[in-house]
Amino acid sequence: MATNPNNTLISVRDLEKHFGKGGDIKALNGVSVDIYEGDVTVVIGPSGSGKSTLLRSLNLLEEPTSGSIVFEGVDIAKKKDASGKPLNLDEHRQKMGMVFQHFNLFPHLSVVENMTLAPIKVKKTNKEAAEKMALTLLDRVGLADRGASYPSQLSGGQKQRVAIVRALMMEPDVMLFDEPTSALDPEMVGEVLEVMKELALGGMTMVVVTHEMGFAREVGSRVIFMDEGKIVEDGTPQAIFDNPQHPRLKDFLGKVLI
Amino acid sequence: MLTGKGFESAFRYIELFWKGTATTVALSALTVFFGFVLALFLSVLRLSKNKPLKWLAIGYVELFRATPMVVQVFFIYYVVFAGVKVLPGFKFLGFIAFDRFFPAVVALALNSAAYLSEIIRSGIQSIDIGQTEAARSMGLSSRQTMQYVVLPQAIKNILPAIGNEFVTIIKESAICYTIGVQDIMSAVNSVKGATFRIGEPLIIATVLYFCLTYPTSKLIAHFERKMSHGDQSK
Ligand SMILES: Nc1ncnc2c1ncn2[C@@H]1O[C@H](COP(=O)(O)OP(=O)(O)OP(=O)(O)O)[C@@H](O)[C@H]1O
Ligand SMILES: [Mg+2]
Repeated sequence: MATNPNNTLISVRDLEKHFGKGGDIKALNGVSVDIYEGDVTVVIGPSGSGKSTLLRSLNLLEEPTSGSIVFEGVDIAKKKDASGKPLNLDEHRQKMGMVFQHFNLFPHLSVVENMTLAPIKVKKTNKEAAEKMALTLLDRVGLADRGASYPSQLSGGQKQRVAIVRALMMEPDVMLFDEPTSALDPEMVGEVLEVMKELALGGMTMVVVTHEMGFAREVGSRVIFMDEGKIVEDGTPQAIFDNPQHPRLKDFLGKVLI
Repeated sequence: MLTGKGFESAFRYIELFWKGTATTVALSALTVFFGFVLALFLSVLRLSKNKPLKWLAIGYVELFRATPMVVQVFFIYYVVFAGVKVLPGFKFLGFIAFDRFFPAVVALALNSAAYLSEIIRSGIQSIDIGQTEAARSMGLSSRQTMQYVVLPQAIKNILPAIGNEFVTIIKESAICYTIGVQDIMSAVNSVKGATFRIGEPLIIATVLYFCLTYPTSKLIAHFERKMSHGDQSK
């Protein structure tokens, strides 16, 4: 799990995202960061520091106010590509899986239908192949027998595991997690973190916003601390947790690590 | 005064009532169908980011909701279709005069679309934004997201309201006898002309309308219960 600057997957420069009338809420206030292939980049920080906004900007669920996001050689924050053609965002989003705090499974579709919708409609994978892949992935997360279930019939932990494999169905190059365990009952947090850990061990590039400091320390290749829309500190888990530099990071860790 | 004799003479024209009922049903069903298709389109425009399209949809809805149905029906029949003059005069099912029926369907559908589109819009807006975000994050286009994720859930939520609109249309379609559509109400009018009695044919019409609308609303209520039973949402 070594950070390798030679394999930059996403390169964020001077990213700004302002909300509110007149743009007075600076959710992102000049963020520059590189995300390396194979890394698990963990993003921590107090509430309102811009963690979600950063993650959501990466796949343009939020449209940045300014700055650039170069993903696989294309600046997706611009609306046009190098040759001036309008950018097809859907193509880029396919390569970035996203897992949400509240799962966002489609309640009217079964587990397998949830998983095969995008591959069938977007990638034009044939139904049988997509279903086969779905069952293989479900098996990997211990849900082989729940393919025909509907989301309402699953526990929170099971829902989140389905959400993770649903995102994996598109075979993304990076997985973005926004507090994937924050809406779970405590006894279900472990099963979801376990799946994420396995994914990391398999070499998946991941950007994870989380309050699970144990996970950050154990699985993270690198930890980024955000505050007030800026990256305040960026380093290995050891450096961040054992030798924090910035007073605000020290303060934050003091509050979460009791 | 209602009299047995009055009913007797009205029943001599029962054939007119049967045909009228078929016409009312066909008129209402086609209205809801075309109205729904147009309403889908309007509600998508209404929610689009394109300002002119959005205002066009809002203007349409407000115009149709702010004017009387009879004005709309007359306008479509006497003004819009008067100029066209190409409507074939054939009769389908052997008794429904197309050149009256078609403008009626158009007018009712245009009206109904305005109401239905507001119902659909509220249905779409009731779906959690997270559903759209999840779909888009997997690469589905906004159209695909609407088609496969948002609308199926929205329509399930608003099915009762759509059913109510169907009931409303069955009743309001009675206005179309004024442009010569031979529906239930027009049968009343014909019998009145032939027998000089109005009470008895009105009673028959009342029963017929009731027999159309009451089971329809019961059927909707049944589906509503059934669906909330097997509700798969959260
Ligand atoms: N859609 C929005 N409209 C207005 N303000 C927003 C919006 N989304 C985020 N913000 C504001 O931007 C700032 C950063 O929010 P963000 O959700 O990124 O924080 P966060 O670090 O994810 O916090 P949390 O830990 O609570 O999830 C906050 O002040 C928030 O209120
Ligand atoms: Mg957040």
